[in-house]
Amino acid sequence: MESTPTLPIPISYVSGRYLLFSIDAVTYLRREHNICGVLIGTLPQIPQQNVFLGLPLELMPEEARVLVDKGVACIVDEAKAHDGMRSLLEEDRRQYLRDLESQGQLATRILADRKDQLREQSLKEIDEKKAKGLAAKAAKAAQAAADAQIAASSAPASTEKDESSSIFAAEDEMSSLSRTTGTSTPAPQQTMGITPTTSYPPLPHPVSSSGQYLPKPKVPLSYPLFAHLHSRGYFLSPGLRFGCQYVAYPGDPLRFHSHFVVVSAEWDQEMDLMDIVNGGRLGTGVKKGFLLGGPQKRRDEVESEADRIETVRTFSIEWAGM
Amino acid sequence: MADADEDAVRGTTVEATQIEVDLSDETQDFRLLNHLNFLTDTSSSSLPRRGEKDFEPNPTEFQADVLSASRQAMHNALAHPRLHNPKNQVIAIYAPEGPPPPPPVPPGQDPGKTSGRGASVSPDACVYVPSPKGQYFKNMGQADRKGVIWLLPEEALYLLERGSLDIRWPTSITGGTVEEGSEEEELSIPMSLQAAYACFIGRGGLTLERFTVFSSLKRIGYAISRAPGWDDSSSVEDSADEDSRNAYTQPVTRGAGLAGILGSIFNWINDPKSTSSTAAGPVIGYGIHRNYSDIYKKLAQIPWHDPTTLPTRNPLSTKPPYRVILHVFKPSTFIKKSALPPPDFRIAVINTREATTIPTLPELSALLESTPLDPPKGEKMDRQMYLRLRHGYRNVILAVVDQGVTSFLRVADVAFGRERLYESVGGSLGPKKAGNFRKKKR
Repeated sequence: MESTPTLPIPISYVSGRYLLFSIDAVTYLRREHNICGVLIGTLPQIPQQNVFLGLPLELMPEEARVLVDKGVACIVDEAKAHDGMRSLLEEDRRQYLRDLESQGQLATRILADRKDQLREQSLKEIDEKKAKGLAAKAAKAAQAAADAQIAASSAPASTEKDESSSIFAAEDEMSSLSRTTGTSTPAPQQTMGITPTTSYPPLPHPVSSSGQYLPKPKVPLSYPLFAHLHSRGYFLSPGLRFGCQYVAYPGDPLRFHSHFVVVSAEWDQEMDLMDIVNGGRLGTGVKKGFLLGGPQKRRDEVESEADRIETVRTFSIEWAGM
Repeated sequence: MADADEDAVRGTTVEATQIEVDLSDETQDFRLLNHLNFLTDTSSSSLPRRGEKDFEPNPTEFQADVLSASRQAMHNALAHPRLHNPKNQVIAIYAPEGPPPPPPVPPGQDPGKTSGRGASVSPDACVYVPSPKGQYFKNMGQADRKGVIWLLPEEALYLLERGSLDIRWPTSITGGTVEEGSEEEELSIPMSLQAAYACFIGRGGLTLERFTVFSSLKRIGYAISRAPGWDDSSSVEDSADEDSRNAYTQPVTRGAGLAGILGSIFNWINDPKSTSSTAAGPVIGYGIHRNYSDIYKKLAQIPWHDPTTLPTRNPLSTKPPYRVILHVFKPSTFIKKSALPPPDFRIAVINTREATTIPTLPELSALLESTPLDPPKGEKMDRQMYLRLRHGYRNVILAVVDQGVTSFLRVADVAFGRERLYESVGGSLGPKKAGNFRKKKR
């Protein structure tokens, strides 16, 4: 886990959005650069829920910009990169398919091992029950449970199921040892197919291959405040759902509640007093501070966004007496 | 050594016991996933309780360990591979050119009748499944003449992402020797998740926001189809619609209205001694009133908006993004792919980085007018006024996507003017809940 991926990390630019597909890059950026992003994909192991999501990770343009400015990442046009599939060498292609196959075999073996473990475990449980002197009725129920478990492990278990039921029919004098040996001869299995997460390989790593990156991401006016808070160690997430622009966490949101609801403003921008009252009440109501801030210079007064970041001032508003 | 200190710092943990928290609102501790034994029993996996969080980072090793365990759990969960058991592997093939165009209509035949099976494959479809099996094609995909199922990009990407579909690059792209038919499949390269995003997002109007909304609803069991308004560029040039759009600036209202009030003032100027004068006498006029209802009716001076009198407008005459692009069906609704029932929900998808302000009244009204009239029905609605008010007469759901974080809002057109409180005196008004004009759905 403590590995460092090759820098700069390629950020996929897909149809105007910034995405990350490599799990190592995601973990690394979270650990070393306080970049969380938002997971938007389905987790294949539990696909029917929206609480835990998986890859890809969507980055705000601000996050992508911070990383590019730091030199940690670069932006790669993913659609263009995948045109490389057309010019794949025959040798690379075969090699890649062989790799996938061996990975698939490995996965098949692991799953088969796990299934055997489960079998042994359930058989042990049955033995324990029998040792307790349960009646034949109870044994039958356990057998049903064991069958269900085997079926649930979604393995090609039809032949084995027959075996196991015949074993159970053959009565309870047999030792658990003979049972396990009876089932430890798995039928030759086909290899699992694999859908890889990233396209590198078979495509050559984009950073080493072309060196042509897209320009820095365009960022909204709130970028200086984002970059300022990020440089102070805050983790920032999109915040519209909580009634603000960003939610600021003091540490990794995995472990900490957020401290601020953040709204950015330009220095000479006129603000409605009601917005400040609303923000203050909202923040205090959810035990957070309402953080209002922005750069003191306009975009036309400076040469680059970086100059604006240095002039950021922030204010925190709390609703007293609530 | 520093045990005492560490305990002291640990004590600062904030206990936030909130009821009814939406789990997806917050970043979840992925360690909870470890408790889910999803590999053996996916059917009964209930969601875990949310984990306890600390108030702020402190330099204790304890906290560092917990954080690193959380991150490790997250890493493991995200690194889970997408495997396809050969027994139920479904293979699909990417077709960058889309489905072959339907054969030309033989002359002398009604073009509407040639369809039969499969003429309805959308030109946006870009993945085909030669031998479809499994449950997923019940409410996804369109079959062509040969029985091959064509998937739209969002459907293909969703299935690939959940690990249910193995999409292959066509050999026309990756090249390779096509050896003896059956060998072909062996040699084609599986499409990675990354490749699928690169190829499918941006195709046929599919933005990342639309896909995020599509897959988040799909994950929890809804069936979804594209609405006619999916294509942003399509619009109605019909002049009649233009007229109605202009006419829109005059909202349809009921009640006395400005003209009515002006009229009574003019009446008074012309005939100040008239008994019906508002300025010189009671608003309801002189005379004997025996019935409160009549009095209240005459007192109703303020014009009100009646959604039932609005013309229903063509969905294509609305302005993107305030336009219905997805039709959503509850899991209980019976779906026949060739003849879809009326949808249970209509959804417009809005990207907060492109539409930074809340919709204007004309935008919102046009959106509502493009949905069919859906008056409150049923015994419960008849009894409870506040339920009626909440339900409204037309409704639409806005899916607001903020950089991958989606909020759903239900907007309903409410007719307060139709609820005559003075007529229901004595009747039950139902529980006194807030009859919000706009309410957050989740």
